[in-house]
Amino acid sequence: MSSKVTIGSDIRQARRAVEQLRMEAGIDRMKVSKAAADLLQFCTEQAKSDPFLVGIPATINPFKEKKPCAIL
Amino acid sequence: MDQTFLVNVFGSCDRCFKQRALRPVFKKSEQLNYCSLCAEIMAADGLHENETLASLKSEAESLKGKLEEERAKLHDVELHQVAERVEALGQFVMKTRRTLKGHGNKVLCMDWCKDKRRLVSSSQDGKVIVWDSFTTNKEHAVTMPCTWVMACAYAPSGCAIACGGLDNKCSVYPLTFDKNENMAAKKKSVAMHTNYLSACSFTNSDMQILTASGDGTCALWDVESGQLLQSFHGHGADVLCLDLAPSETGNTFVSGGCDKKAMVWDMRSGQCVQAFETHESDINSVRYYPSGDAFASGSDDATCRLYDLRADREVAIYSKESIIFGASSVDFSLSGRLLFAGYNDYTINVWDVLKGSRVSILFGHENRVSTLRVSPDGTAFCSGSWDHTLRLGWAWAAKREL
Repeated sequence: MSSKVTIGSDIRQARRAVEQLRMEAGIDRMKVSKAAADLLQFCTEQAKSDPFLVGIPATINPFKEKKPCAIL
Repeated sequence: MDQTFLVNVFGSCDRCFKQRALRPVFKKSEQLNYCSLCAEIMAADGLHENETLASLKSEAESLKGKLEEERAKLHDVELHQVAERVEALGQFVMKTRRTLKGHGNKVLCMDWCKDKRRLVSSSQDGKVIVWDSFTTNKEHAVTMPCTWVMACAYAPSGCAIACGGLDNKCSVYPLTFDKNENMAAKKKSVAMHTNYLSACSFTNSDMQILTASGDGTCALWDVESGQLLQSFHGHGADVLCLDLAPSETGNTFVSGGCDKKAMVWDMRSGQCVQAFETHESDINSVRYYPSGDAFASGSDDATCRLYDLRADREVAIYSKESIIFGASSVDFSLSGRLLFAGYNDYTINVWDVLKGSRVSILFGHENRVSTLRVSPDGTAFCSGSWDHTLRLGWAWAAKREL
């Protein structure tokens, strides 16, 4: 009895694996050249708003310690 | 609007015709819908015609081969070749700008608040701390009843945090500024796994949490009721990390595990839609590219890789012969051009995502870097380490020398 249950679950697992692979093999794919070109385009468009790529004036850095003000 | 996802499709079972929760079963190339009872009976009955365990396994192998063939057909060029026409970045000079001290043991995880200023961190000693990164002040602290708090996350509203670890749970703590209120008293247990919690993330709202666990599964939970909304089975070993797709690209997330696989999931159906198995060891960290069309991974095999979802394949490897320690944590800069990666050799390497070259190496931590996130507005990054500290670096002082 117990060996039948084990075989049953092995088969279930194997069937699930086959179904999953069938699904994955069947999806629509794009050529790497096109996909890469799109990644590039996104980077280029967003580059000007990426703080690590463009310089930002240090004066507006909120992380910097605020120097104490002296009241004259 | 918050949606509660249905766990299953309801309808008439193709075998017993009763109204039940159904799951699809493929017989030859036909799809039938069985209720879970009939599916179990069919499987326990044993074999379909001409089907043996061996034939199923060999079919699986041949399908894997077909999958590789299909992927290879479209592999007409490398990413770095396409990127030749883009200007090189030159070397970045970056330094630690601020150190957050206060944890008594290894920092394991951190997450930024959407306000781009606050962050939450968790550590091996059970402490979870909320910091103001501008002033380095600690705003909240709570001690969990377990050690090794491996996961923490900030709620989108900024009003709560979630965390968990060796307690196998994910708990949500509302953040309150009332000095008289004990944070631990309002704790709500949301997720229950059968092994350690390795990662957690709120979805677009405070109402749902996605978790990853050492029990090999990921799960989606309703915070208010603690109800399991969807579970994700497929990893063959501990799941170590997850990341949600940017909201514009729909309801998917990616997970990485000790089975060396990165898997992309449909949150509504619970189904794995794509899987990638090119790493040679555990995948410690996964992060979506800002456009949602790709994701990066960091692994114990000392490499980081980029997978494009539409090409359905790995398109770049970020590695050097001199880098032999595992990458624990990765994140992109705002444009996706830079990939920050923290390593077990105590350093952070910054990679040019398009060209595949390293543009900076950061020293400063005195032990493994375990966690790393770029702030929501892309102006800073924070790294946490086994040296008990978190360090901040930011864009303003980064100089580029061409």
